Amino acid sequence: MRSVVRRLSGHLARGLAMIWVVMTLSFLIIRNIPGDPVRGQYEKLIEQGMSPDAAERSTAALYGFLPKGSLWSQYVDYLNGLIHGNLGQSLSTPGTGVATIIASAAKWTVLPVLGGTLLSFLLGVTLGVYAAIKRSGKLGDALSISGSLLHGVPQYVIALLVVAVFSTLWPILPSGGPVDIMFTPGFNGPYIASLIQHATLPVLTYALASYGGWILAMKSSVATVLGDDFIMAAELRGMSRGILFRYIARNAILPLFTILALSLGMLFGGAIFIESIFNYPGLGLLLVNSIGARDYALMGGTFLVLTVAIVVANIAADLLYAVIDPRVRKGEAA
Amino acid sequence: MTRTSAPGVRIDDLTVVYKTPAGELPALGGVSLSLAPGTITGIVGESGSGKSTLALSLLNAVQPPGRISGGTVEIDGLGNVVDLQGEELRRARGRQVGYVFQAAQNSLNPLKTVGKQLLDLGRSHDFDDLPALLKDARALLGRMGLDGGRVLDSYQHELSGGMRQRVGIMFALVLNAHLVVLDEPTTALDMITQASILRIVRDVHHERGLTTLIITHDMGVAAEVTDSLAVMYGGRVVEHGPTTEVLGAPRHPYTQGLIRAIPRLSGDIDEARALPGRPPTLGTIPKQGCVFRERCPIRIAVCDTVDPVPVTRDARTVACHAVGQPATPVTPKEFA
Repeated sequence: MRSVVRRLSGHLARGLAMIWVVMTLSFLIIRNIPGDPVRGQYEKLIEQGMSPDAAERSTAALYGFLPKGSLWSQYVDYLNGLIHGNLGQSLSTPGTGVATIIASAAKWTVLPVLGGTLLSFLLGVTLGVYAAIKRSGKLGDALSISGSLLHGVPQYVIALLVVAVFSTLWPILPSGGPVDIMFTPGFNGPYIASLIQHATLPVLTYALASYGGWILAMKSSVATVLGDDFIMAAELRGMSRGILFRYIARNAILPLFTILALSLGMLFGGAIFIESIFNYPGLGLLLVNSIGARDYALMGGTFLVLTVAIVVANIAADLLYAVIDPRVRKGEAA
Repeated sequence: MTRTSAPGVRIDDLTVVYKTPAGELPALGGVSLSLAPGTITGIVGESGSGKSTLALSLLNAVQPPGRISGGTVEIDGLGNVVDLQGEELRRARGRQVGYVFQAAQNSLNPLKTVGKQLLDLGRSHDFDDLPALLKDARALLGRMGLDGGRVLDSYQHELSGGMRQRVGIMFALVLNAHLVVLDEPTTALDMITQASILRIVRDVHHERGLTTLIITHDMGVAAEVTDSLAVMYGGRVVEHGPTTEVLGAPRHPYTQGLIRAIPRLSGDIDEARALPGRPPTLGTIPKQGCVFRERCPIRIAVCDTVDPVPVTRDARTVACHAVGQPATPVTPKEFA
């Protein structure tokens, strides 16, 4: 128990350090992107003939604040705000907190990413076992080839193909947007049906994009375990087929759990392409739009959420590993 | 259905072939060998002589790309194992024939405790009384000098090599199998652990009334525990007889060479003479004639064309054309 606490606190310290580094870098990068919307607004007002004082007041009223002081003092203000849970004010939608915007966008990313990844994980892992066991047969070849093909195609190409097939060639699903606006939001049948319809293609894209990786990883993992001494030992002790299968599956799936947790974190980054293509109002689209609008605060906030997602996924992967692998649990080399 | 006494085993003209790009090559070329009920038989030979393949044949478990292509393995109470398949074969494994792996191998699932794997074994063999199985296992482990309760709660990585090997022996015996096959049971163990494992094997063998087969490349191990000894070369048993006689007065030139090759603890290392040449591999086993002739000091003309038939004379079986004639004298040495 004590070792778990020590392990967890170590992870947290490292995670926080990592987040701080990413935050500092993104702060510096963002501030050095050319184009400043507040200054732009201020200069626009002056060009329209407003006095500098009036223009400053008007701009401050519009955005709720004015960036003042040196880069260093802005950085200190920014970190101070972060520590107090304040992500700042959005510049592109004046008057709205970054946290509010991110929270409302997050649900459009988290659920499809989770759904798509778990779907492809289950599918890929199950088929990967067959691909390994039947690896000298036609079925195994077909599964491996499908995995290699899909693994090699970039996400956004899959997204475009999926749209082409299901929205254009065979128009059964909507090609973009989160939901039809004609339905009243809430817990009612038509609204939920519309939600699901709109989510199908993004989820399918996430699933197809990662399925290939799972099937290939599981196939090689099972093939390795099949060659392990203890599998033959279990066979020669007359263990039943069901138990043998469980021995193989549990040992083979072990390394994949780490990849699963990591890929969940990484997929939030992948959401950038897919949400842009499907015009899906999640974190990825939010990031793209905030960059277009030079919305520092929103950019910073989105980066922060993506970073935290990856760091948390890392920690979760490590803790999960300790739960399922006794060799790691005891803090010994595996 | 489970026997309570030691079964006899009769292996007759057993041929095992391995599928290679060069066609099917024989790993065992018509091996005949009997294990008398209640005895410990040793099989010695160099790597690649077919020892392990022979051991696996006793459970009809030759691994692909190998297969048993001919011959029979009759085990009392089981019949011809070569004909067993599916569920029947699975039930015989573990229940009737126990198999102990090389100590260096990891024969346990790394993710489960020994106890949980024992329960898996019990369920696989439809044991109703699982607590009794655990109790038997604890008693067996205790008999081998281990704290049974603690070992059952341990994972493989928490056990030392010697402990793992005792756990392996427990797994082979706990279902009350009376035929036990040990494949290199002490390889990779230190000398002291090796000695204690061998003592355990011998004691348990007598206490439980087993028929035991030990595969080893270590003549010392064979000398210490076996009643009878079979020497294998190139997929054939070239000599078989009571251990003291085979070691004390080897007749086959290969056995003589093997014994001469053993270095003594005291004395000149040069006294140990390695056999010239190399043991044949699957691809280089001669298609006709004696498999040993290339390295044989007493080779005669007939060896090139005719595979010597094993001849049994007063409890000793030897497959050699030259042995019928006055044997080349070997410096008979007390076997240490």
